[in-house]
Amino acid sequence: MADLPGDRNRVVVDGDVTTWAELRASALPDPAAVLGTSRQALAAVRTHVDAGTELLVAASGRVDEDMRDELRGDGFHVVTDAGTSAPTCPREPEPGRLWILTSGSTGRPKRIGHTLGTLTTIGRRQPPRVWLCPYSPGTYAWWQLVTLSLTQPGQDLVAVDAGQLDEWPRLAAEYGVTAVSGTPTFWRQALFRHGADLAKVPLVQVTLGGEPVDQPILDRLRETFPAARVSWIYASSEVGAAVVVHDGRAGFPREWLDHAAPGRPLLSVDGHELVVRSPHHGATLDGPVRTGDRVEVTADRVLIIGRRGSDEINVGGAKISAGVVRDVLHAHPAVAWARVRARRAPIVGQVVVADVVADPSVADADIARWAAERLPEYGVPRRLTRLAEIPVKETLKTDVG
Amino acid sequence: MATLDRSRIRDLMGEVLAARGGTLPADESTELRSLGFRSLDFSELALRVEDETGTELNFDAPGLRRIATVGDVLDFLQDLQAA
Repeated sequence: MADLPGDRNRVVVDGDVTTWAELRASALPDPAAVLGTSRQALAAVRTHVDAGTELLVAASGRVDEDMRDELRGDGFHVVTDAGTSAPTCPREPEPGRLWILTSGSTGRPKRIGHTLGTLTTIGRRQPPRVWLCPYSPGTYAWWQLVTLSLTQPGQDLVAVDAGQLDEWPRLAAEYGVTAVSGTPTFWRQALFRHGADLAKVPLVQVTLGGEPVDQPILDRLRETFPAARVSWIYASSEVGAAVVVHDGRAGFPREWLDHAAPGRPLLSVDGHELVVRSPHHGATLDGPVRTGDRVEVTADRVLIIGRRGSDEINVGGAKISAGVVRDVLHAHPAVAWARVRARRAPIVGQVVVADVVADPSVADADIARWAAERLPEYGVPRRLTRLAEIPVKETLKTDVG
Repeated sequence: MATLDRSRIRDLMGEVLAARGGTLPADESTELRSLGFRSLDFSELALRVEDETGTELNFDAPGLRRIATVGDVLDFLQDLQAA
């Protein structure tokens, strides 16, 4: 059995305070796809460290029956609460291989091969922290916190399953959480739901990732947690953690483009698309990877706007980025969250529309006026739909825009 | 299928214009150009009709035609609902 530097770190899961060492589980079948809760996923990971089991972990809700059949067809034993289903096409396991599922925001989730080494992207010793992990088991962001806690002493982990997300500030206070990592959608929902109460959680580190990060959300988090370092990370299953920014500003410094340094990702822009050559890439993804993310290069920053193609709305031949419109709406002081999309319309083909979660005392006309003052006429949302709550997928992301 | 009558479509057209600081005149022969009612406003009006009826309009059905006056807009959207 392998001992790890993080074995004595505290791991809180389902209200149970334990350690990585205590999470060691009985042997897993090999290869295994463990579809379950945070506890089952964390125990499987610790077992992988000891036995080298080829492993995929995911929340059961993210893997439908078709995908389970696919996994069994690809040689995996599918382990769930209901028991273990044997592979339909058994094969030899690949020792040390870890698989993660992409978030599926661009379609059906696909598997990307990694190892514990390629998933461990934080090598520098970090100050002691108690991390809240709201991410769904098996996602890239979840692995980032899990590998940090496994490989460095003093990095405790408080895992929160989807059903506990609404009450995370209470759990954070109860277990002394000092650092939280979440998507911008997660943070918007937290600010909308809990408002000033969030400030009672004495965070020293606030991290965002998984979606484009705009300046207003960074500013609001800085106001809410004045003692915290606010960081954002650009990472994906394919290229790993490629950008980490701590200066409180959206985007990353322009001088980081095309700057080669040993052990660091090489960032470039080709046709408004971010291209990354990363040492943390997944298996078979060596070399430059076109990320599919659209960027805007300003005088001093590179701003990540959103997905290419799906981000663009064509209004009678005039093109506008849904991400740009979304950022304008997010900058409105009363808007907690916005989703921008195209809607079919006569004459112009498409118009921009938006779903928003906003202070009910602020009229639609006020939000429309705000947008009209900052966007070209064809970029102003022509319909605003008010939602009572911020819709959050299991991946903590917004599904569109 | 729910449909909106001409009067209700007029009300919605008035709301679209009001949002841009304009008003809808009673005379249906008024030129859209003089009102500043443009393609995007027309599109928005169609979406408002869709939202109110809960039905997606088939924009291709009535074919191309000249839409120059307030009356043309109301005719077009009435025809669209019937298509």
